[in-house]
Amino acid sequence: MTLGLPGDVSRDSVNRALVHAGHVGAWVYLGMGAVVAISLAIGGSPKGWIAAGLALLMAGTLSLVAVYRSVFWSVLYLVVGGGVTLVLTVFAMQSEHGLATTDNAVIAIPCIALLLVGGAGAGSVAASLWVVAAYAVGQVATYAGSVVSDSEYRVSTAATILALFIVVVRTVDGVTRHSGLRRQAALVRANVAAREATARRDHELEAITRLHDTAMEHLLAIASAGSGPIDDRLRADIRQDLSLLVGRDWVEQHSGGFGDASNAFDIADGTPVLDQAFATAADLGLDVKMTGDLAVLGLLGPHRATELDLAVAECLRNVARHAGVQEAEIILGNGGGEVTVAVMDVGAGFEPERVPAALRGLRVEVVERLERELGSARVWSAIGLGTTIVLTMPEGGA
Amino acid sequence: MRTDRLAPQDVDPIVPLASSSILQHVAGTAACVTAVVLTAAHWSEVDSPLAAIMAIAFVVISAIAATVGTRPSRAPFTPERLWVVIVFSLGGAVAEYLSTVGNNQFVYDDFGPVVIGIMMVSVAPYCSWTTLLSGGVLSGAVLAVLVAGAPSDAWQDLPTAVVVLVFVAPTVVASSAAAGYSWAIVHITLAWQRKANQVLLQRDAELRAGLARSSDHGRVAVLRREVLPFLASMLTAERVSVTDAARARQLADALRSTLRDEIATTWLSDLAADLERRHGVPVEVVETDTAVAVLHDDQRAALAALLNWLAVDDRAASIRIDVTREDTELSRGRVVRISVEALFGAQPPARRAIERFAAVARALGLAAEVSTSRQNVTVEFRHGIS
Repeated sequence: MTLGLPGDVSRDSVNRALVHAGHVGAWVYLGMGAVVAISLAIGGSPKGWIAAGLALLMAGTLSLVAVYRSVFWSVLYLVVGGGVTLVLTVFAMQSEHGLATTDNAVIAIPCIALLLVGGAGAGSVAASLWVVAAYAVGQVATYAGSVVSDSEYRVSTAATILALFIVVVRTVDGVTRHSGLRRQAALVRANVAAREATARRDHELEAITRLHDTAMEHLLAIASAGSGPIDDRLRADIRQDLSLLVGRDWVEQHSGGFGDASNAFDIADGTPVLDQAFATAADLGLDVKMTGDLAVLGLLGPHRATELDLAVAECLRNVARHAGVQEAEIILGNGGGEVTVAVMDVGAGFEPERVPAALRGLRVEVVERLERELGSARVWSAIGLGTTIVLTMPEGGA
Repeated sequence: MRTDRLAPQDVDPIVPLASSSILQHVAGTAACVTAVVLTAAHWSEVDSPLAAIMAIAFVVISAIAATVGTRPSRAPFTPERLWVVIVFSLGGAVAEYLSTVGNNQFVYDDFGPVVIGIMMVSVAPYCSWTTLLSGGVLSGAVLAVLVAGAPSDAWQDLPTAVVVLVFVAPTVVASSAAAGYSWAIVHITLAWQRKANQVLLQRDAELRAGLARSSDHGRVAVLRREVLPFLASMLTAERVSVTDAARARQLADALRSTLRDEIATTWLSDLAADLERRHGVPVEVVETDTAVAVLHDDQRAALAALLNWLAVDDRAASIRIDVTREDTELSRGRVVRISVEALFGAQPPARRAIERFAAVARALGLAAEVSTSRQNVTVEFRHGIS
């Protein structure tokens, strides 16, 4: 079992699946029609070969609709299908099998195949309009065929019932999809939230375990030693473990006394604190959850820090405008000579390769801004899963 | 599982909920109306009224079987249920054949193949494309035998193959369309999942890397701020004082206690804290056991979805989650029981809406029961663990 599709993707996907179902039905129906025609041809009706060819022509044109799903190919299919229906009506009504009216199983084949066009566009309304158009084309062609063959025209019962059935199915599909159930459950986004909680839990447990493994032995040694001189070996072990845990530089800085060990930096006056970003979030009513220490921005030169601040502000602006959620998360950190800010949301997301416009704003306001300062931005996004943008800026600079 | 054996309901737990109750009712009604109307239309051909009525009765039973079999409470819809639906539909076709045998003037007005086709379409969200196609082909074969052996003036001058193809076309075409739908939904969903998993993994990686870089470890950070400077101060100190020794003992106790607390809590606590922070609804987690960690990702998502839904729009004034492990006499030995109790807020949710979350959980392998009172709702999930 997977969690299925998010509501944003589901509408388009179900529509595509319904269209595909129609195409498969039409191909099979036209194929069976071709076999019927060939059987008749073998039985002594040469027009059966032409009828089989026309059915296959119609099936081939439908394949183009399936591949391209454009208005042009859909209309072309209706035109070809209308022509095929007209010719087959003439053949059928002029045959020696004595068909009384045009309401029969043979003429129903192209008429029904027309109804299964699917057509360009998404949604129940567009699909229903294509069905109405296809139905009209089929019946007009049948009528024209009856006139040419001088036979009695009667509306195709099968095509009429199927047209109504498709419209009903499409309406049902539209109603169930608009019921909001998928949106309400929001399973995919809940999955992201649960994974995030799991990641935080794993990380916190790892951190306390590492601290425990590193510090507990030394704390117990100090506690049990009681008052007296410190053993040099214990001192060396503490130095080595602290260097592993928080880095040699920090140990050198703090070995003289107490300080804040959660980070190597202190927020001094004038240190940038992402004030633009937070002001933007406040203006847009965005609830921003921050992890990490703003003091890492002190590793950047003032100009770089300001540029990073503006880039983060732009990312938050995009969340407020496009993500459809009111929450975002910022994770600040540093390592490898870079300051990193990850901006995450669990919103609508987008497909970077299909929405170049969404990337254009990002490119100008974020990527190029950072690149001017030798930084970079990476974007991950998918519809229904939200967006993650990781901004990095090298330490120092102007 | 191979993809050709996957049904839409296997890759999307919402399918049984979204499709049910409307599609089956519409299709079932359409099948019954078709049977009645076409029987009436060719009543002049009916030799055996009893068989004709039996045919309609079989169609009604088939429609009821499809409707009942696809109810969320009876999920999942198994292939065996599909065969029950097919058998009754075929029974209708056979009875209809018997009702007009020897006097059937038109194949065009026989409802048997159409009804089977409609029923196949109605259960498409619950069956794999191979099962639907097999059902369609086998039904078509039975219908072919019927029509090929039936003497009639209407088609005596046509090749048997033509008559058979025309007669079985509605069943075969509708089954093919249903199979096409099932195939497309499964492949589209799996394709999206593959892509989504890539993005999710990248997101997880960035999140974990970001957390590591941030040096922010929640509650641990507070302790870390005290322990590390203390140890650093020992590097330059000449002697350990009594105060230092006492402080070291105190920090060791705090460290041990924090580690114990961290081990005893799970992702659920973090999720609850996040919901409380974002929505202002008190969410209390009482975990006497960390067995909730054994839930797989999809099950966690179902639980998270319910909690998130309850926490927004004033549905709940407060939420309490109890996690316990219980011994059972079941083959799997023990179960983890997760009880979510929500005190109703200003806009209490309808029981039906909550039932949907329970149905989703069931589809994901969690047993779920909902009980409501005027003041609160309790959803109890149970998951077998070995």
